[in-house]
Amino acid sequence: MKRIFIIAAFLACAASALGQDVLSCRNVRLRFFSSAPLEDIEATTNKGVSAINPASRAIYFKVPINTFQFKKKLMQEHFNENYLESDKYPYAEFKGKILGDADLTKDGSYPVETEGTLLIHGVSKTYRVPGTITVSGGKTTAEAKFDVRVADHQIKIPSLVVKNIAEVVEVTMTAEYQAATKP
Amino acid sequence: MLHLRLLTALLLTAPAAMAQEDLGAIFGKDSVRRDPVSSTFKSTRIINGQSNETLAKRDLDFRVAHRFGDMGGSGGGSSTFFGLDNSTDIRIAFEYGITDRLTAGVSRAKGSGNFSQLWEVLGKYRLLQQTHDNRSPVAVTLFANAVASSMKSSPDKADPNYFDKFSDRVSYVAQAVIARKFGNAFSLALTPSFVHRNRVGYKDMNNMFAMGVGGRLRFSNRVAFVADYFYSFRDSESRDYYETRGTKFYNSLGVGVEIETGGHVFHLNFTNATAILENQFIPETVSTWTHGQFRWGFNISRRFALGGR
Repeated sequence: MKRIFIIAAFLACAASALGQDVLSCRNVRLRFFSSAPLEDIEATTNKGVSAINPASRAIYFKVPINTFQFKKKLMQEHFNENYLESDKYPYAEFKGKILGDADLTKDGSYPVETEGTLLIHGVSKTYRVPGTITVSGGKTTAEAKFDVRVADHQIKIPSLVVKNIAEVVEVTMTAEYQAATKP
Repeated sequence: MLHLRLLTALLLTAPAAMAQEDLGAIFGKDSVRRDPVSSTFKSTRIINGQSNETLAKRDLDFRVAHRFGDMGGSGGGSSTFFGLDNSTDIRIAFEYGITDRLTAGVSRAKGSGNFSQLWEVLGKYRLLQQTHDNRSPVAVTLFANAVASSMKSSPDKADPNYFDKFSDRVSYVAQAVIARKFGNAFSLALTPSFVHRNRVGYKDMNNMFAMGVGGRLRFSNRVAFVADYFYSFRDSESRDYYETRGTKFYNSLGVGVEIETGGHVFHLNFTNATAILENQFIPETVSTWTHGQFRWGFNISRRFALGGR
C-alpha cells in the first residue's frame, strides 16, 4: 500500500513537470555591438534557438556563430576565422535558471534575472543576466541586454587592431516563444 | 523491498529531471549544419593559380604581384643580389565583387614569355559552395580571362610576337577550381585548365590543357603555408621539337607563406615560373627549380569594403 502511494506520488510529480509545456523559439534575434576608437562593430542574427521550462525555470539559448551578419563581409570573415574560430567552436550556448519566484504561467511583465553558464569560443563563464519576460494571452517573450568581455572567452585581439575592436561587446537578445512541439 | 522502491523512484524522476535540464535536446536535430563552408582559401589566388574564393559583394581587391629574377644559375647569384635586381613579371590588378558569387577585374602585367605589355579582363563565378553537412562535398568556381598584348609587333613573320591583326595579340584561359576544406586547417584545390593562344610559334600549341593542384595549410589563424603546381599537357611532338632547339618546357611549382593582417594578405613565395598570368605560366614556363631558376616573389592583396556604410 505504502509502495503504491510512493509510486503514485512520483507519477504525480513527473506528470506535473511534463504537463507544463516547454516553450521554445527558433528565431531568437541577437545583436552585438562594440564601439572602438576607429570602428563600430555591429552584427545581427535571427538564427538563435531558445527554450524555457516555466515549471523548472530552466532557460536555454544556442546560436550558430557563423550566422551573424556584418555589413562588411571582410569583418564577418575575420570574426569567424580569426576571432571566434567558428569552424572549431560553431555555437555559443547558454544554460541557466530563471531566478526569483515570478509565476511565468500568468500574464504579466516580469523583470527577472537568470544565472547560468555561457559558452563562447569554447570557454564557459558564469553570467548573471537581467532581462524581462512578458506573458500576455499565452504568448511569452523575453528580452535581455548584457556585456561580454572578449578576454573572458580567450578571444585574442592583436595589439595592431586594438583601436578597431572593443574589449567589451554589448549583446541584445529578443525571443518570442511558442509551445514546443516535442519535448 | 526498499531496493524496488528506490529503483521505481529513480526511474520515475530521471526522465522528469532530464526534461528540465537538457532543454537543448529539443533542437538537437536542427543543429546539423547545412551552411556553406567559408574561407577555404584566404585570397582569390593560391600562389600562381586561382583559388575558389571570390570577393564579397562590393568588395574591391587591389592586388600587386611581383616576380624577381633567377635566384641562382647564370642570371642569379650575388651579382644580381639573388635575382632581386631583376623583375620577370609585375601585375597590378583591380578586382571587384559584383555579387557575392561574381567577381570581375582588370589588370596590367609586364608579361614574361612570348608577349609582354599585357592587359587582362577576368571574370570569376562561384558555382557551388561546400557545405558543412557534405551535401555538397566540394566547392566549384569558374574562372576565365582574356589577355591582349600592346607590345610592338616583331618585324619577323616567324616570331610568335609578329602581329598581323589584333586577334593575334589575344589569349584566353578557362578554368574550373574544385576545392575542398578538410577540417579547419587544410584546403585542397584541383584546377583543370584550358589555355588558348591565338598566335604561337611554329610547333607550339594554340590549345593546351593543364591540371593544377594547390593547397593551403594553416599554422595559426593568420599564417599559412601555400603551394600550387600546374601540369601542362604539351604533346610530345611539340616538346621534342623545342628540345632539339634548346628550349625545354617545365611545369610551374610555387611554394610560399601566406600572412593575413586584417584586410591585407601577403604571399611571400618562390616559383620557377617567371610569369604571373595563367596565359603564360601554363604554356610558356622554361625555367626550372633544379638550375637555380626559381625566384622570390610576392602577392599583396588589399581588400576594401566599398559597401555597407
